[in-house]
Amino acid sequence: MSSEPIIRCRGVGKAFQLYAHQNDQLKQILFGLWGKFYKEKWVLHDVTFDVGKGERVGIVGRNGAGKTTLLQILCGITRPSRGEFSVNGRIAPILALGSGFDVLLTGRENARIGGAILGLTKRQVESRMDAIAAFADIGPFFEQPMRTYSLGMIARLAFAICAHADADVLLVDEALSVGDEIFQKKCEDYIAGFSRSGTILMVSHDLAFLKGLCDRVIWLDEGAVRESGDPATVLDHYREAMLAAQ
Amino acid sequence: MFAAVPLAAYVEPFERAWRHRELIRAVARREFISRFRGSLLGPAWAVLAPLIMLLTYTALFSITVPQLMAGMSIADYAGGVFVGLIVFQLFSELAYRAPMLLHEHVNFVKKSIFPSETIAWTAAIRAFTYSGVAFAVFLVFRLLSAGWLPWTLLLAPFLIVPFALFILGVVWFLMALGAFTRDVAHIMASIVPVLMFATPVFYRLEQIPPHIAIWLRLNIVGDYIEMFRGLALDGRAPNVFAYLALTAVSYAVFLLGFRFFMRYKSVIVDVI
Repeated sequence: MSSEPIIRCRGVGKAFQLYAHQNDQLKQILFGLWGKFYKEKWVLHDVTFDVGKGERVGIVGRNGAGKTTLLQILCGITRPSRGEFSVNGRIAPILALGSGFDVLLTGRENARIGGAILGLTKRQVESRMDAIAAFADIGPFFEQPMRTYSLGMIARLAFAICAHADADVLLVDEALSVGDEIFQKKCEDYIAGFSRSGTILMVSHDLAFLKGLCDRVIWLDEGAVRESGDPATVLDHYREAMLAAQ
Repeated sequence: MFAAVPLAAYVEPFERAWRHRELIRAVARREFISRFRGSLLGPAWAVLAPLIMLLTYTALFSITVPQLMAGMSIADYAGGVFVGLIVFQLFSELAYRAPMLLHEHVNFVKKSIFPSETIAWTAAIRAFTYSGVAFAVFLVFRLLSAGWLPWTLLLAPFLIVPFALFILGVVWFLMALGAFTRDVAHIMASIVPVLMFATPVFYRLEQIPPHIAIWLRLNIVGDYIEMFRGLALDGRAPNVFAYLALTAVSYAVFLLGFRFFMRYKSVIVDVI
């Protein structure tokens, strides 16, 4: 494990602005200097952790604990309300899989856009197109409009694109549950192989999966780190707390 | 206000667009592909639509002979209206669409690492491509009917660039506002048609009494229409000072629109 962290989070907090009326958002823009037209809802309070190079870190927590928001902050999709963070390296976010796709376009055309979003040049995408198609393994559907795809096929293509993006950091958000077992196995193999060179942060509710794969698990509870450390220990505590809450 | 801004801020919009050029290209491609998918004639519509419009106007004016012609031939008047319409429709298409642009691309903006400011570029690329095709149709029509084209047409790129900057600034501004409230789309739907009559589309500024025309000159779209007409119909290059002033104003709109959008970009993700 290297001394320089790849992901660094210091006191990160995120408040969403809740508006009673849709139009209050406009008021906020126009008159924000003179008043506040929203209520704050803090989904993350104070999250501090480091992830070193080559580490595989899992995140667990109940729905609404702030897991997805945390990943969105690390990707740069949304900005934290307080605290600071840094990510050294190129990120491939496997968030809600395939949500950026256009259903009228074919798999190939969507792969071009998906690759461009991840920062690949046109030439890079084209040279990897065969590998992407092979990884997705959706056969002739690759040339068909995406509206003909099943959910699993969309997830396969999305994962295939991310897997060929030359990323240093992989951010995975409960994405692997969609595909069938063969594809899940393929993804797990890929993630295991990826961690030899890159860093992984993944959110999952599949505790056995996390236990088998992660070096460390972070338990997020109500927007703060409740426990962090050895997967077996943290996951046991998490499981106990879940059972106690029922 | 501009004195306080560091030099880099003046080129930042271009620098960011260049960095994401591959993405802009891919998304612009998508705009065209998905627009023509499932249509029999496909790209031919880009030529057919302006052609039908041009023929309709010429036919209409040759029957009705509007007061506004003021001694111009039917072909000249119809040509002037057509150039006016190409420019104004480009503006109005984007003015209508801009407030909804972020809603259209909500999956990109919320679910992936997507530089949302590039949406303005791709929307503008699509609109300018269509207008370019319409303009080419017009030039062919003009060449066939009048037998010549003025040399000043070669100056058109010098007009298109500042006009594009102006349009981009407006789109960024409307995009950001439209993300916060859908009223912006309704507002645009009601003021753009009004704006059309305050723009010299069906008339020329010189036909307007000077004390009114001076106010109409504040309408930047109208100024561009007059200059485009000068280039494409009359063989008249724009007045240098008027051109430089228009370019400066357009560039200011471009920069301010960009800064406005970037300022609210991170908030927009949470509210959209």
